[in-house]
Amino acid sequence: MVMARSDTTIPIPTRTRRPMAGFGLVLPGLGLLLLFFVLPVLALLLRSVLEPQPGLGNYAEFFGSTTYLKVFLNTFTVAGLVTAVTLALGFPVAWFLAIAPRRWSALLFGIVVLSMWTNLLARTYAWMVLLQRTGLINRTLINLGIISEPLALTNNLVGVTIGMTYIMLPFMILPLHAAIRTIDPAIFQAAALCGASRGQSLRRVFLPLVAPGMAAGALMVFVMSLGYFVTPSLLGGTSNMMLAELIAQLVQSLLNWGLAGAAALVLLVVTLALYAVQIRWFGFGRTAG
Amino acid sequence: MKTLKMILAAGAASLCIGLGAAGAQAQSMVFTSWGGTTQDAQKAAWAEPFTAATGVKVQQDGPTDYGKFKAMVESGNVAWDVVDVEYDFAVKAAQDGLVEPVDFSVVKRDEIDPRFVTDHAVGSFYYSFVLGYNPDVLGDKAPKSWADLFDTKSFPGKRTFYKWSAPGVLEIALLADGVAPDKLYPLDLDRAFRKLDTIKGDIVWWGGGAQSQQLLASGEAALGMFWNGRLHALEQSGTKVGVSWEQNLTAADMLVVPKGAPNKDAAMKFLAQATSAKGQADLAAATAYAPVNVKSKDLMDAATVATLPDQHAAGQINLDMAYWAANRDAIAKRWYAWQTQ
Repeated sequence: MVMARSDTTIPIPTRTRRPMAGFGLVLPGLGLLLLFFVLPVLALLLRSVLEPQPGLGNYAEFFGSTTYLKVFLNTFTVAGLVTAVTLALGFPVAWFLAIAPRRWSALLFGIVVLSMWTNLLARTYAWMVLLQRTGLINRTLINLGIISEPLALTNNLVGVTIGMTYIMLPFMILPLHAAIRTIDPAIFQAAALCGASRGQSLRRVFLPLVAPGMAAGALMVFVMSLGYFVTPSLLGGTSNMMLAELIAQLVQSLLNWGLAGAAALVLLVVTLALYAVQIRWFGFGRTAG
Repeated sequence: MKTLKMILAAGAASLCIGLGAAGAQAQSMVFTSWGGTTQDAQKAAWAEPFTAATGVKVQQDGPTDYGKFKAMVESGNVAWDVVDVEYDFAVKAAQDGLVEPVDFSVVKRDEIDPRFVTDHAVGSFYYSFVLGYNPDVLGDKAPKSWADLFDTKSFPGKRTFYKWSAPGVLEIALLADGVAPDKLYPLDLDRAFRKLDTIKGDIVWWGGGAQSQQLLASGEAALGMFWNGRLHALEQSGTKVGVSWEQNLTAADMLVVPKGAPNKDAAMKFLAQATSAKGQADLAAATAYAPVNVKSKDLMDAATVATLPDQHAAGQINLDMAYWAANRDAIAKRWYAWQTQ
């Protein structure tokens, strides 16, 4: 069947025929990004090699300081942890969204998206009130006699992970859901007919098919977490300070823009490298699931 | 062609009218502060009377952002005329050439408390870091001195401190460790961090005033260091709060005019209005922050005066902003290294 196609005389429409078609429509958006994002970022990066003296002094300071390296490491630890927890929690939800009756999935979908419409600061303060030593969760557990001393749920890694996981969940669920929904259920019948066990069907059919969705969700959550600011600042302790907090201090309070630029560039390079890995492994067009 | 000419002519005419009006009466300037109740009070106490007296409209902007401040001055595209900043930034900004000198032919320097005026900045208001505690959590034990903040045996529970590298916490640690107030500066950083190490696990940090109130009122922190105005606001809202003024540490917000501000003349007049006896008295009455004008107290009622930091001048210690301006980068490096350990 496939062979027959190459014999036919009907020209095959391909995407390569007019590669620049529709490019004009992209220009306004591209121009906006260039003017208000790319240029300012470049200016900040230029400062990192020009201030206070030209050279790589800021980078030497960044990589020579255990403080910055620790904060850098913290940032990746938190982002990785949040990604793992969001994936574990988001997967069943995405699965349910895809297979549930329409009415149920619409309701659940609404709940997932609704959380994104509430102000971030308000949500984070709400978590603060819930998680603190005198908060609702600890009080309930103490009153029920389950614990005698309040659990340390905030001002530490636990608080940041809970708060950020909650905020990031929709960004994991949506691409996962999109990937799962496009799978034709008949494919599992086919796998079973060919003699695959349930485990084989899961590992060799289902997982490869949802992998791009998982990768897209994980990358989105991970990258967004890297730059997070409000939640770590309010729910985290100082020993898990993240890079964005430190950059904000450098820019707004200490006015050390050279070092801030260096820190921002390092973060940007690592993020872009991760993105490149994703494109290589899972392709560009499929990142959206 | 004809239509185009007419449009151009109409445009030019309306432009002339606009300019004429602006020159005659609708002159305006921009005042930037930190938002919230403080800026509302500044607007009512300073901006509205100023507009009534001079006809110059005052637009409110905010919050203050030092990054934006520096970017404006460096690019020569300054949108702010008067900015409320922290004292140590005011000193540093003057050294870096980011602010205009104050015109003391317009502003009455001799009426301002000399602690809160420099060649480049005038006080906006002053306040104190004080020890605050939650009586419901601590019972009948009342902490008094900064040393009590470090005494986890007598006063168990979390204690809360200001999160960022800024004047206050290190001084408190040194005072608690027995350093005499007149021997505080230059700060012995090693000693201060050693003292802070003794309670590091018991500290919860507050990054802003609202958070400090939340931590104390909920009992999450039993005691800590606070801006006096924030504790006053908590009391006003009906929360039970204990305050100790022993060795209260003064700091101030300052008003500065960014270099190249578009309405410099109006800005100087605004500074005169803000630091006047009446302007300072009205602001203090609304906020419980203290007036920097030495004549303001005569204009205030006794009950308001009783809430002010200058009622606790005995043992009061002035944070050394010149020291901080000179050392803030070096201290910040140590501070964040210690915090993230």
